[in-house]
Amino acid sequence: MRSMTSHYLDWAATAPPFADIQIAAADFASTTYGNPSSAHTAGRAAGEALEQARARFAGVIGAPSNSIVWTSGGTEADSIALLSVLRRQRPVSIVVSAIEHDAVYQQAKTLSELGVQLIVVRPSGDGTVSPGSVADAIRRDTALVSVMAVNNETGAIQPIAAIVEAVRAASAAAGADPFVHTDAVQSFGKVPFDAAGFRVDAASFSGHKFGGPRGTGALYLRRPLETLARGGGQERGIRPGTVNVPGAWAFAAAAERALHRRQQSYDEAAVLERQLFDGIRSISGATVLPECRNAGAPGYSPYITCVAFPGLGGETLARVLDDGGVFVSTGAACSGARKERRVLDAMGVPRELSFSSVRVSFGRDTTAEDVNAFLEKATDAYRRFKV
Amino acid sequence: MIAPHVSDTDALYLIKVGEIHLKDGNRTEFDDRLKYDIKHRLAGIKTELSSREGRFYLRIDEKESTRAEYVLSHTPGVNGWARAHRVRKDIESIEEAAATVISPYLEAGPQSFKIEARRSDKGFPLDSYGVAREIGGRLLRRFPGLSVDVHTPALVVNIEIREKAYVFILGGSGVRGLPVGSGGRGLLLLSGGIDSPVAGFRMLSRGLALESLHFHSYPYTSREAWEKVRDLASALACYAGGMLLHTLSFTEVQLKIQKDAREEYATLYLRACMMMAADMVAKKLKLNSIVTGESLGQVASQTAENMRFTGSFTDMALLRPLVGTDKEDIMRQARTIGTYDLSIQPYDDCCVLFTPKHPVLKAAYEKSREEFLAMGFEKSVAETIDSMNTVRLPCAFTPLREP
Repeated sequence: MRSMTSHYLDWAATAPPFADIQIAAADFASTTYGNPSSAHTAGRAAGEALEQARARFAGVIGAPSNSIVWTSGGTEADSIALLSVLRRQRPVSIVVSAIEHDAVYQQAKTLSELGVQLIVVRPSGDGTVSPGSVADAIRRDTALVSVMAVNNETGAIQPIAAIVEAVRAASAAAGADPFVHTDAVQSFGKVPFDAAGFRVDAASFSGHKFGGPRGTGALYLRRPLETLARGGGQERGIRPGTVNVPGAWAFAAAAERALHRRQQSYDEAAVLERQLFDGIRSISGATVLPECRNAGAPGYSPYITCVAFPGLGGETLARVLDDGGVFVSTGAACSGARKERRVLDAMGVPRELSFSSVRVSFGRDTTAEDVNAFLEKATDAYRRFKV
Repeated sequence: MIAPHVSDTDALYLIKVGEIHLKDGNRTEFDDRLKYDIKHRLAGIKTELSSREGRFYLRIDEKESTRAEYVLSHTPGVNGWARAHRVRKDIESIEEAAATVISPYLEAGPQSFKIEARRSDKGFPLDSYGVAREIGGRLLRRFPGLSVDVHTPALVVNIEIREKAYVFILGGSGVRGLPVGSGGRGLLLLSGGIDSPVAGFRMLSRGLALESLHFHSYPYTSREAWEKVRDLASALACYAGGMLLHTLSFTEVQLKIQKDAREEYATLYLRACMMMAADMVAKKLKLNSIVTGESLGQVASQTAENMRFTGSFTDMALLRPLVGTDKEDIMRQARTIGTYDLSIQPYDDCCVLFTPKHPVLKAAYEKSREEFLAMGFEKSVAETIDSMNTVRLPCAFTPLREP
């Protein structure tokens, strides 16, 4: 790391882990080392710890223990749900939104290469997917619907409860019974998310996004699904492979803490969001994407903001900010049409804006100084390097 | 004569030199240059390099044979080389060695051949002619696909009888051309694309030693983009025997173009500024020419009209070795010399924001020059040279992937 003060504003990429949980998990790993599938005492101890962690996380999301499957992260949780479609009788179709994370979107494209009919639902200009447009895509052979809970680039909160309701109604009319999945990676611990209340069939979670360790994740399953991968039958056969017990333990501990702090953290993020928006609007030319988004708008996670500086490439700005100790992300490429900004493109954002955008994302330790540092350095960079 | 051998475990290489053959008056100068080039690339290793009858002989410790073969394959001026099979001085052993070297060539079908024998050990029972006749006869009996042709054989099997017997066929695995440096020293404009490294390679193999100049526009271009250019320069260093890479920060120049120039002239004026800078750098470093990867018509800025315009900002020899080369041929050569995979890494050298939508294709010479000169770019360009950054890239022994 650099010696100058740094300002980490890339929490949507990963959150610094809770240090005490990380240390306790390492200790736990060396003491409770048994394979939870083993019948002996060491194995049973690990198995018990694993089930405690499962119960703990299930409690956090208000679901029964046996609905939780441990995975290696959000991507694996997503792919277990999506690949289950290959177990269905053909013809079969799936519906995903155009703004999904690659963990869902690329997996869906692979399914379409394997003969699954892929129907992609576009968002509105505000970055949300309307329940009606998802319902319209339901057909008799629809096996799965996947719409994310919070978009990782724009922060747009998707109306999951309403989407589920619309999908169920449309499915009943079409004679279908699709499995409804949501990628909740950017939502958990940040915005209200009630897996059971939303009546989704499956939801994916990733530990490192809320202070847990990298390589840990969970899949909530309201009803069983047929999986593709086979192995030793762990996790009821849904995710075969020796379970990462200390990882699951740390995941559950971090989830509990994140949920415990959720409201307070949300209120703090909302204040920072306002500060960021006010600052952006005082920079001539700069704008938040989508442009209709205002500070405090309930449809957006206050933790994630996409900001455009027309005339300055997003990657260029990110480089200058990095030199100044401010860390943000960009999906934007300087290289023209060869790369795309799929999410912003789907929203109909012009390329001049999308290619000049960066994502600013907050977390539990973000301060007003961090936001100020971003605003100051971005203002300077914009003045100096705008073309 | 070949130098007395250091040890029986040495590897012996025979080197066929290229166009040096055609040189007459200054033959020795070219010979010495090539010897220096080979020695320099094997610095720190005990070698013996001698020449006889238009061929070079390299003796080197067996342990360094991979390195030696790499060097011989990457040194311009070397047309081909072969490692000699060293065997006992008896007819059976020599026949076996000859059969070993010739059989791979017969896989492609029948071949004509002849034997060239030399005997420096006069104690050997057969003379040169006798060796050639005996081994030739044995090979003919052994391989029905062989036929003798003493005038224009497809294969020449060389046999040398010294303290041991050496058997070899010279392949064509060298870079060819002229020794690096025999044509002086030029400045290569290295962009990071596919073309400029190939242009550099072509001039290296015409004997032009090179230094490279890259224009970097941080933060519009990334560090990775510069590192890619550095890797390309390193790849050329293998052929050049080392390479100096000079980098000029062109950010301010680009911003000035953006501010002052009409949009459609942005690319053309940028290239004019680059040429102006190259001219200044080449003169400062006392180089004799500027080399570019331009190819006529490949992109909008590479029209004859625009080349005239950009070329007018230097009075040095402006070498464009790819000007008439098809893009696919350039790509093929880039693969052969090992720069293609580096060049296609997706770090662009210039941000799309600077590229005009409709660049000017045929600059009106007088008018554009007048307008360009009025903008006063010399000062901004000269300033970039004051803070020029230079890195020295060694001729590293990093065997490139087989193409």
